[in-house]
Parts: sequence; structure tokens; C-alpha cells
Amino acid sequence: MRTGFKVISLAFPTTVLMFLALGSLERGEQPPKKKVVILGIDGMDPQILKGFADQGVLPNFSKLMAKGDFKPLQTTMPPLSPVAWSTFITGQDPGGHAIFDFIHRDPKTIMPQFSMARTIPSDWTVTLGSWVIPLRGGRIESMRRGRAFWQLLEERDVPTMIYRIPSNFPPQSEGHALSGMGTPDILGTSGTFSFYSDHPPPGSEDMSGGQVNKVTVQDFKVSGQLTGPQNSFRTTGGNMTADFQVFLDPEEAVATLRVQDHEFILKEGEWSDWIRVDFEALPHVVGVSAIAKFYLQQVRPAFKLYVTPLQINPEDPAMPISVPGDWSAELQKELGYFYTQELPEETKAFSAGIFNGEEFWEQSQSVYQESRRALDYALRNFKEGLLFFYFSSVDQGSHMLWSYSDDKHPGFRRDGKLSKAIQTLYQEMDEALGRVMSSIDEQTTLIVMSDHGFNPFYWEVNLNSWLLEKGYVQLKDLGRRDGVTLFENVDWSRSQAYALGLNGLYVNLRGRESGGIVSRGAEYDRLLDRLEADLLAMRDPRNGNHPITLVVRTRRDLKGTNLDSAPDLIIGYNRGYRSSWKSPLGEFPREVFVDNRDPWSGDHSVDYRLVPGVLLSNRRISAEKPALYDLTVGVLSEFGVPKLSEMIGEDCLE
Amino acid sequence: MFGAKIRIERTLLEKVKRYSKIAGYSSVEEFVTHALEKEVAKLEDAASEEEIKERLKGLGYIS
Repeated sequence: MRTGFKVISLAFPTTVLMFLALGSLERGEQPPKKKVVILGIDGMDPQILKGFADQGVLPNFSKLMAKGDFKPLQTTMPPLSPVAWSTFITGQDPGGHAIFDFIHRDPKTIMPQFSMARTIPSDWTVTLGSWVIPLRGGRIESMRRGRAFWQLLEERDVPTMIYRIPSNFPPQSEGHALSGMGTPDILGTSGTFSFYSDHPPPGSEDMSGGQVNKVTVQDFKVSGQLTGPQNSFRTTGGNMTADFQVFLDPEEAVATLRVQDHEFILKEGEWSDWIRVDFEALPHVVGVSAIAKFYLQQVRPAFKLYVTPLQINPEDPAMPISVPGDWSAELQKELGYFYTQELPEETKAFSAGIFNGEEFWEQSQSVYQESRRALDYALRNFKEGLLFFYFSSVDQGSHMLWSYSDDKHPGFRRDGKLSKAIQTLYQEMDEALGRVMSSIDEQTTLIVMSDHGFNPFYWEVNLNSWLLEKGYVQLKDLGRRDGVTLFENVDWSRSQAYALGLNGLYVNLRGRESGGIVSRGAEYDRLLDRLEADLLAMRDPRNGNHPITLVVRTRRDLKGTNLDSAPDLIIGYNRGYRSSWKSPLGEFPREVFVDNRDPWSGDHSVDYRLVPGVLLSNRRISAEKPALYDLTVGVLSEFGVPKLSEMIGEDCLE
Repeated sequence: MFGAKIRIERTLLEKVKRYSKIAGYSSVEEFVTHALEKEVAKLEDAASEEEIKERLKGLGYIS
């Protein structure tokens, strides 16, 4: 069913309703089309939202709260975006959809892996000299299990438009969908920026999330190369490259850039528009297309040029980023080029000191403006069915700008403008909400939701170092701890457990881990008992706090049965704490507790009870404590579609 | 076919002969070559530690 009947049926018995509904139609007139609009605002926090609304700076949210309903929305454990959005998408807990973190691991090698998607390589190739030609293509596979709720709607001919919902790469839909979080850049990474300078910052050879290239300025000219993806067509390997030149004005802080066929002028501190960059893999046969923006940070005394991560070109996508496949090109025609990489706000350049706060703000605002234009496009083209639209700006801004408005933060920074940045991000969402409210009719169901809230990230916990102190892990060489990553120094023959990812803790289990030593059954259970008790008893000696307030045993506490890649324990940190920067990829720094002074100063990978999301609607929210998986059922119910047996929630909307 | 010889168990060889015909390969060599190519490709696809770190480092949550 996709009519407006359900809304009226609150007041009238069904038989009367049918009579009224049909009786009011002229002969041949179609019943009203059901419409549901969901605004998905990653990381919007109910307390922060209410605080700003109480100050009177969010008129549209205040109006929706007054006329409709507003409640905190229970998130998942762990409250991480890929996990939480997957729960909303499938109506299942992580045990059902099998996404437990940003990072999983291969138990045979203990090597970390992306949780959301994997590449299946081509298995039929032919070799011609130094070229490898695939006869049958490889493919990219989503690791999320369970059906997306919109697929149930599509089966009933409900039109759907799903704009950048996380954990949907490659996009699964029979309607219209553009992939979001989980979508890589053209290098296959979460985003690798490039920086070119004749005076690169010290220690930049191993910069996280970026490639720093030393260039020379000669006769007012700089030559550089953009590094493209690996050329899998060549047996000799290597990356594809694209040359560019920069011609500096001898007097003014201005330069002309030449990138392939494009020539453009930038002033110091100015960004370019999107520039298409084509990499040639197999001469005249196969190429890979990307887009990038150039930011001329400084002309002199030091030359500094930043280039965004190379994006999959929506006009000619190298990977499947939309359904239908040509929808991304259609969007490009309507909107111009746009960021296609997951979470394109440049957090890495800010953390690495390449950007300052103001530069991060400017870049992240350009991401927001692109999304905002896309919202207008989506609303213009939305006639019936389901529209889901996603914003990342509140999440990314809350991560990076928290310390500007929290004087208790170890990395507190004073800046008049940026101290109001998070408020500005909420006000921008208020404006977007106002745009949605003005474009829908009374019969349309409006839902505003987030996947989790936020809290400060004051202190890092090196969980692997704590496991080492407690004797759960043994190192081959205790003196070798600095800069050793990916568990390289671990003596697996004497180690019982290890931490990997943001919240995961794994047992070194015999028969699962290749060097497993803990037997299934009583020994495993006893170990988990001891770990749980020790973790909850952990104290930060500097202030007496309990850094961990919740330990979830996946095989006991989760409902689903897709637990093959699940950690054995999921750790819930206390307010202010989080897994350290080093521990998630298997490092063992010497200190267990460290002050966090990184610009990434707000976070949510904590005890899920501390960071619920938001749920607002122009319908009454019937559940006292709605959860993400309830909302899945609620949306289906708006269209009269019953939930699947594996969906664990209940309808939460009246 | 020129190249190194590989010793495999007789029972496995019999199976390989049988299945190479069923699967439509023109010869045992073609079947074995394809099977080995597939396995090597899998290993090559298992990226090096450095590549894995590079891929993951774009994620804002880790350094």
C-alpha cells in the first residue's frame, strides 16, 4: 500500500476510512501518494540540539518540536556510524547486519580490514607483455548483511531516493541511490590528500591520511605529479600519474596552474573549482577518471599547494557509486561535480597541521554547500515514496571543532569565530529543515534523525598497552614498542586477547585465530569473565575515573547470528574517554592514558547510553524510548509494509 | 609446454584430470595454470602491511 490511508486511520475505523477515502475521489482520480522524507543528520546530539533550541536560534527545529515530537533515539553498541546506520537500514543489531566497527580483522593474519566493503579481484586475466588484461571484471561487495528497508518498499513499487546514507557502498537499491560513507577515493583509501611544498613540514614523510611531496621552485615554476591508482594492467605495477605545472607570478601572490587540458589562476588562499584528471591505465584503451580541487595555500616565502583526495568522478565513475549506474552522471549534469568520497571534510589535513581551523572550516563549508544544493535538487524531484537525505557536516564539525567551545578540553583553543562553529552547523541544519518543511504538504511524514550524539574526547586509552600491563598480551621484545604497528611485536603463543578497531576486543581463540591459544568453552568463558571484571574496574590514576562503563559480550548480548567477524567484547568508554590514536591498529605505546590534544576533539565511540541520537517527526512518537531499529519498522509502517522476522524493533510512530 | 615440473600426488592428479575435463579446460596444464593464477591473485590482492595502513589512515578516527 502506498496511500495516505494510514494517517487518517488514527481517527476512524478502517471500513469508514475506506468509504471516506474512496468516496472523496472523483472517478479515475488516484488516491494521494504516500510521501516520507527523512533528514539524516550524522552526529546530531539531543542535548546540544535542545540547548540551542532553548536559546531560540533554531526556529524550525523548535517549530517541529512544538507541532510534532522530539525524543532521544537509542543508538547501537558501539555507537559508530557504519554500525548505527546499518542498524537503521536493516532493523537489526550488529549481530544481524555484521558491521561491528569501522575496522574488522582477518583472524588468520590479524590484519585490519575495512568493515563496510571488500574488493573481489578479477579471476580471469590474460597477460600481453607487461600488460595484464582482465577478461572478466572484479567486483566490490558490501559486507553489510540483511535487506535494506527501502528494498522492501521498492518491491511494492514505492519510489525511493536514497542520498548518501552510510554503509551503502556499493549502493543496493532498485530506485535511486548515491553511496556515502564506505565509498573510497580513487586510490581506494578513506581519503588521501596531496600536499606540495618546497619546505615540507618536518616529519611529513609518514603523514597520516596524506602524501607530502617536496617540489622545487625554479624560474618561478613548479612541476608536480598527481598520484593515481595502481596500474593493475601492468605486470610491473606502479601508480598511474598525471603531471601538473604551477607558474608563479614574480611579484603578486598569484599563480597559474596547468593540469592536463585545464589552465586556471589562483590567488594565494584561494580554492579552484573541481578539475577533472584522467589517468591512463592501458594506452588508448582503459583509463580512470578522477576529480580534484586545488588550494593555493601560499606562494612565498614557502610554496604550499594542497590537493583534495582524488574523487571518483561522478560523471564517469570508476566504481559503482550510484543506482542507476548513470544517476551520478545525471546529478553531475544538474549540480556540477561534487565530492563522492566518504566523509569528505578534510579532518586529516587539520589533524596533521597542514590546515588550520579556519581552513578546515572553509573546506568543510564547501562540502556542506554541495550537500545543501543537492537537497534542493532532491526536493524538486521528489514526487512520492521515500526520500532519505544525509548530511555529514554536524558530525565532522563536532569531531574537529569541539575544543574551540570547551575550556575543559586539554586541547582547548581560543577563536572567536570557531567557538560558535558547532552552533552555526546546527543553524545550517535548521535552515535545511526549514527548506524541507516548506516544500512538503501536511500529509507527508517528516522524520529528522541522527545515528548517535556526541561527547568530548579528553583522554586517549591505549587499550592494547593496558592488556599488556595486565598480562593478557605478551610482546616478543618488550623494549621494542615505539612505531611498531599491526601487532608485529606480539608473541601470539603467549597472548590471550587483543584490541583492534575503535571498540573491539578479540580473544586469541584456538581454531579461529591462526596462532590461537584459548580453547572454546570453559576457558573462553572464564577469560571473558576476567576481562569484563578487569575492564570495568580499570581506573585512570590521574583522576580516579573509571574509563570504561560498559562491556558487551557479543555472543551473549547481541540478537543476530552473523557473528563470524564480531569482536568477542565491545568496549563502552566513559564520557571524555576513547580508544587512543594508536591502539586501534595494534600499537602498544608506553602510557595507557594520554591527554588528547589533536584537533579531533569530540567523539562518540563510547558507552552507547551516553550518546543517543535524535528523533523528531511531525508524527507523534509512540515509543517511550525509541531505538534506531524501531525507526526502521516505523518507516515501513508508514507505507503499510510489515517488518521482516529478523527485524528486532517495533513501530515507534503514530 | 616448457617450464619446471611440479610433483603432485597421484590421487590429486586423477582428480585434476577428471575435473579439468568436466570444467571444459582444453588440457590439464590449462586447468592447473588457471587454478594457480587464481590463488596467486588472491595473495597479491592481500595488500602489503604498508598498503593496508595507507588505506586505513584516511579514516579520521586513527592516526
